[in-house]
Amino acid sequence: MTAIRSPWLRAVAALVFWAALCMVPLATDSYLQYVINLVLVYAIIGIGLNFLMGYAGQFAFAHAALMGIGAYTTAVLATRFGVSYWVCLPLSGIVAAVVGSVGTLPAMRMKRVYLALVTLAFAELIVWVLINWKQVTLGTDGVSIGAPELFGWRVKGDKNVYYVVLTCTAAMYWLARRILESRLGRAFVAIRENEIVAQCSGISIARTKFAVFAISAFYAGIGGSLYALTLGFIVPESFNLFQLVIHFSIVVLGGMMSLYGAVIGAVLLTTLPELLRDFQALQEMTYGAVLLAVIVFLPSGVAGVLKRYGLLPREVLARGWRALERNHTASAVLPDRAGGRR
Amino acid sequence: MSLTTLVVAGLANGSLYALVALGLVLIFKTQDVVNFAHGEILMVGAFIGFTAFDRLALPYPLAFVIAVLLGGVLGAVVERTAFRRLAHEQHITLAMVTVGLSFFLKGAVRLPYGGDIYTFPPAFGAAGPLVFGDAIIAPQNLLTIGVALALSVLMFLFFGFTSLGKQMRATQQNMTGARIVGIDTGRVFSVTWSLAAAIGAGAGVLAAPISLLYPDMGTGFLLKGFAAAVLGGFESIPGAVIGGFIVGIIEMLFGGYISTAFQQVSAFVIIIIVLFVRPYGLLGRKPLHRV
Amino acid sequence: MTPALLAVKSLTVRFSGLVAVDNVSMSIPERQIQGLIGPNGAGKTTLFNAITGLVRQDSGQIRFDGVEITAMPPHRRAAAGMRRTFQAVQLIPQFTTLENVLIGLHAAPHTSELAAQRAVVEVLEFLGIGPTLLRPVAELSFAEQRLVEIARAIVARPQLLLLDEPAAGLSAREVATLDALLRRFVTDWGITILLVEHVLSLVLEVSDAVTVLDNGRLIAEGSPRQIANDKRVKAAYLGEEAHA
Repeated sequence: MTAIRSPWLRAVAALVFWAALCMVPLATDSYLQYVINLVLVYAIIGIGLNFLMGYAGQFAFAHAALMGIGAYTTAVLATRFGVSYWVCLPLSGIVAAVVGSVGTLPAMRMKRVYLALVTLAFAELIVWVLINWKQVTLGTDGVSIGAPELFGWRVKGDKNVYYVVLTCTAAMYWLARRILESRLGRAFVAIRENEIVAQCSGISIARTKFAVFAISAFYAGIGGSLYALTLGFIVPESFNLFQLVIHFSIVVLGGMMSLYGAVIGAVLLTTLPELLRDFQALQEMTYGAVLLAVIVFLPSGVAGVLKRYGLLPREVLARGWRALERNHTASAVLPDRAGGRR
Repeated sequence: MSLTTLVVAGLANGSLYALVALGLVLIFKTQDVVNFAHGEILMVGAFIGFTAFDRLALPYPLAFVIAVLLGGVLGAVVERTAFRRLAHEQHITLAMVTVGLSFFLKGAVRLPYGGDIYTFPPAFGAAGPLVFGDAIIAPQNLLTIGVALALSVLMFLFFGFTSLGKQMRATQQNMTGARIVGIDTGRVFSVTWSLAAAIGAGAGVLAAPISLLYPDMGTGFLLKGFAAAVLGGFESIPGAVIGGFIVGIIEMLFGGYISTAFQQVSAFVIIIIVLFVRPYGLLGRKPLHRV
Repeated sequence: MTPALLAVKSLTVRFSGLVAVDNVSMSIPERQIQGLIGPNGAGKTTLFNAITGLVRQDSGQIRFDGVEITAMPPHRRAAAGMRRTFQAVQLIPQFTTLENVLIGLHAAPHTSELAAQRAVVEVLEFLGIGPTLLRPVAELSFAEQRLVEIARAIVARPQLLLLDEPAAGLSAREVATLDALLRRFVTDWGITILLVEHVLSLVLEVSDAVTVLDNGRLIAEGSPRQIANDKRVKAAYLGEEAHA
């Protein structure tokens, strides 16, 4: 869409796009709508993990557990303490962000090896807490989430949930764009590629890492909350390593350093568990095989391939770079300036 | 249960963790990568042993050997097909491959065996436990401890004194440099992976009678092996072994004196404490601050 | 006497027994181009790393713009106005020139994205590589990549620029262009430069003062002409040649 030159045409295209999205529930049955909702939730989750792994290159295993924290924060507060869902949602993101950043703080300074395994241990610990802290989480019995209300509109049923999830996904996507196309986003890539250069350019590695862990966890928490809303019922085991491999696969298959990739991955891979629903073994083998195959043969993911053939636009981490490109190629050489310092 | 019994049981479990840690350290020492599939390799070894011993009624030692050999083959195959191509990639790529492998293996075992939990009959059949004073020791545990110690000594000698072992160390420090000097890094990697997988699979067969058999059993062992490796300083073989014993004993003590639920998280607690207090472990060296 | 922008006092850096920098003191006034030369292994890059904070010194002090920075981490020194380039060009290959140079503005006081991008365009034009703005740096020529790295270092108008062998791998013509650019950094943008270089002609040509290191020790200081004729310097380099 952004490749279209004329601003009028772009506006019309955007309008058509959003109108079409709003009308989706008219064309679906309840089950298909549920799957679409799930796709949108996983898009948010994928975007969150992409920040951490794709852009900042931090290999961490806590994403599924943090999603669980988000889901349970919402479920417990809404169902057992009667807090409005609309408060639970952002709170879930915040709680997950705090846990995901403060909890991994000691691990951030360590070698990559340790980060991965510490976050794995951390994730297992979180699931263990979710299972064993029965007074709060009801353990393996699970918690159900009732339909929230918004000014008299009862968000019940997959079609209504769709509008909530769609709005959130759109907002989170927009936010992700803003973050990536800013100095913070570029700093993420800098600390992945070359910590020494990053430091010598004034980037604080510690602060940047903290930021990316917090932001990634925030997305996981929000995703978890929406997941709870979509499913209506959650159990602790949903947020174990099996959930994590879905996350990894989405990001890897979609394309690691690409916002489009997270969405593509979500679309491609969310449908899979639904197709293979009762066959965990087959799902595991498929996700495992997907991970292996993509990394060995297609490291830049589907997005990478599409970009190479011009089917997907470039993603440059500088806001408004297209305008810059248009103006820049048209301009002549700037006159020399004998400016002073600062 | 007496303290001595707990300690001995801890040593037995600990020797399993030591073996897992050994496998992790092996691959890390050569390729600077953590093999997240190591727990699953152990699990596969356990199931191979189970199939051979329980389903095919082969004698225990034979089951052990089969598992070890097949494990070694699996390791070599994985290295050849996936890792060889990726040897130059970033660590995150390699690590992700092992994650994919771990899930693939889990699913592959779950397919025929489902989510059921199996028990493995002990190697010595109905042989009763040995009694030393007030300590009760199952012969299976003694076997495990013995095998673990023997393997560790062998590995230590191998790395320190054989030319192949030295080549492996050289490759980890500098892969390109090693190539320039004429080391066949491909062969080094193959041997590494075969060895690590073989040890892992063997540990699985040893673990099977002590632990419960189910496709998800790998993660627990991976984390405990990791705790052991961290405790010993990730690059040290004797450290990994000692670390394994310590983890095993602490776990038993937690379980005996606090609660069994807490026993499950003892590994995590150890990892976190060690990394806070002494990140290079008991026997590791302080990393040089290179620029 | 003009106050020194950078004052290094009795700096010593050891690496597991080996003394890489041995009790070196130097001071650079503002708006000067200071050359730093010496045979291979003399400790020049280590000195750079100590000044920028990548390596911890064993003893000695460093003052920058009147502030004691000896214990300051590298990113704070960079934010304080000290930037550098590297011997091997260190750019982010997947990024375009724009993104790479924007990194140099990370620590700049809060400017809008638009202003930052304009600053990048300005610096690229100044260096003569304007058209590379949106090209992936992996596609650029070696000389262009070097200039992009320099652009990243100067886009935030640092007070002190440390250049680590910027002329390596450049043709004679490219070196001459670099020569002229360095002078303009000082006159037009008021930047002070500390330059490590093996291409002696460039250093002696463009520097206001030269410091010579050998085996971690400072063996000579002075104007380029003095250094060119200094016996100790010649001996140090000849010694290198004799062993080569």
